Amino acid sequence: MDFVRLAWKNIWRNRRRTIITLTAIACSIMLVQALHNLSFGVYAGMVDSGVRAGSGHIAIYRNNYLQSRDETLNFKNGSLIEDISHIEGVEQVLPRLYIPALAQSSRESRGVMLIGVDPEREKQINPFLKTLPEVDMIRSADSRDAVIGARLLDELQIRPGQKFVVTAQNEDGSLHSELLRVRGVVSSGMKDIDSSLILIGHDRAAQLTGNSGSVHELAVILTNAGLEAEVHRQIAAKLPQDRDILAVSWEDAMPNLANAIKLDYASQKFIFMIILLIVAIGVINTLLMSVMERMREFGVILALGSKPMTLRCMIMLEAIILGLLAAAIGTVLGSMATWYLVVVGVDLADLVPETLEFGGVVFDPVMRASWDPVWMFRIAVYVVCLTLLAAAYPAIKAGRTTPAEGMRHH
Amino acid sequence: MSLIELKNVSRIYRLGNQEIRALTDVSLTFEAGEFAVFAGPSGSGKTTALNLIGCLDHPTSGQVFVNGVNLGAASKRVLADFRLQNIGFIFQSYNLIPVLTAAENAEFTLMLQKVPKSERRAKVLKLFVELGIDGLEDRRPADLSGGQQQRVAIARAMAAEPHVILADEPTANLDSHTAEELLELMRRLNREQGTTFIFSSHDDRVITQARRVIHLHDGCLADDVTISS
Repeated sequence: MDFVRLAWKNIWRNRRRTIITLTAIACSIMLVQALHNLSFGVYAGMVDSGVRAGSGHIAIYRNNYLQSRDETLNFKNGSLIEDISHIEGVEQVLPRLYIPALAQSSRESRGVMLIGVDPEREKQINPFLKTLPEVDMIRSADSRDAVIGARLLDELQIRPGQKFVVTAQNEDGSLHSELLRVRGVVSSGMKDIDSSLILIGHDRAAQLTGNSGSVHELAVILTNAGLEAEVHRQIAAKLPQDRDILAVSWEDAMPNLANAIKLDYASQKFIFMIILLIVAIGVINTLLMSVMERMREFGVILALGSKPMTLRCMIMLEAIILGLLAAAIGTVLGSMATWYLVVVGVDLADLVPETLEFGGVVFDPVMRASWDPVWMFRIAVYVVCLTLLAAAYPAIKAGRTTPAEGMRHH
Repeated sequence: MSLIELKNVSRIYRLGNQEIRALTDVSLTFEAGEFAVFAGPSGSGKTTALNLIGCLDHPTSGQVFVNGVNLGAASKRVLADFRLQNIGFIFQSYNLIPVLTAAENAEFTLMLQKVPKSERRAKVLKLFVELGIDGLEDRRPADLSGGQQQRVAIARAMAAEPHVILADEPTANLDSHTAEELLELMRRLNREQGTTFIFSSHDDRVITQARRVIHLHDGCLADDVTISS
């Protein structure tokens, strides 16, 4: 404890300089933590939106379906939905049938991707449907109601309530048509979705293709994204062991979103590194100044009988204490900034287009942070290590001096 | 065996192309309990001689023995340890650590020796009483007079009970009265505890108090006079 006390006293020898250095380090920690947590929150929001409209946190497919999107690769879900629904952490299981089809009105026709859904389950989860009034929603799984994208509606030159025909290939290879009526209209903001989306009841879709009781996808929605690994393991145990039906994570099912997030975060990490590098340079400068000012004192300490390594350790101890103090202050500030960003967020509505798309998901202009305490702790530890590293050169320099040389300084 | 022996010791400093012969072929011995001074004008080699004895510096040629140990080829680590156990230092400008209190400064060598805190403090407080600075334990050096600071430095030098105390111009920054007080103090310690004191000084007050005066001139031994008490 003696050397700790000495190090503490030495740190406050030049109060102003220490406060400035502490402020610089603490502010960098605050910035990096808050920005990371903001990204963490934004990404989590995007993933949540993406999985609820897309594949779910975990998706179940026939082997090779993801790669080929071959509509013949469907499977009977049997009791799988029930079994998976009972797993702890599962919020909902959404059966889906994806059918490439031709939509025709009296005036126009378009190629579409017809999606057969369970309307009751889907309404609770799918963000495209959540905002639809009840009267605009598909009434039952075998009804002729359809919810279509706003652009598609315009392209087919029809209005809500009007009929249109969809034609798709049956399982036996023949073409089969169904008459549908526009019940609701979805405007997601994404061009691809709005110009191709048609949702109908699952049973009606199955009739179109002759795939009664079959699905292409079971989208598993979790109550908490952090449970993915454990739930994935449990789902895999319930699937047939011949590996013809597989459970995949959302990252594999929606690679565009996953890659967009990875790329964005990689560029952020680069910025974080630059911030920390700048801080490290400042700390090296401060510690070097502090050491050079005390060369005479170090000469005396060596003369009194301190080993060079003891002297170096004293300087490193000062750096550790400085780093720990800055990490504590920085983390408090980072927590305060994160709290603000969680509760209030950053509203970019005036700065970004209304419907900006990112990785296939609509970007919410109100950015909110999410707490990531593990990462916050990690960045604090990195900074302490960086401070230690910054002290290495000054410590080595101090230890290299001889008592006589040191005492010649003024 | 003498406590300290310098055998044909020379020290040459090189500054660029220039050679400065600080000490040339000096041979001396010191016995335990001596109260000796290196005297001479500035540049005569007094501080160099003290630095060599205190293993703060290496001789260019010759050998230095302290307590029978040849300090010439030892590593920095070994020399540091040797100084810690055997040699105390008193400097002209006190050289107390400004962020430490008087007691903490005096305890510093004991701290390096890993002596427990309570034991260190007891020892230092006893020394402070002997040196007439009891009550000043918690003051910082900046709050002490020159004489008080030098007494703290003496306490620091004595705390580890070294075999020899080397004092480089210890009275140079003190007024006459304080200087005389301190010299008397060091004489008393030398008499009562048998601590060996070796000074470097050009101060007549110090020279007249010493029992042995070694005159240096331009790095050479000019005279070595023992004054019978």
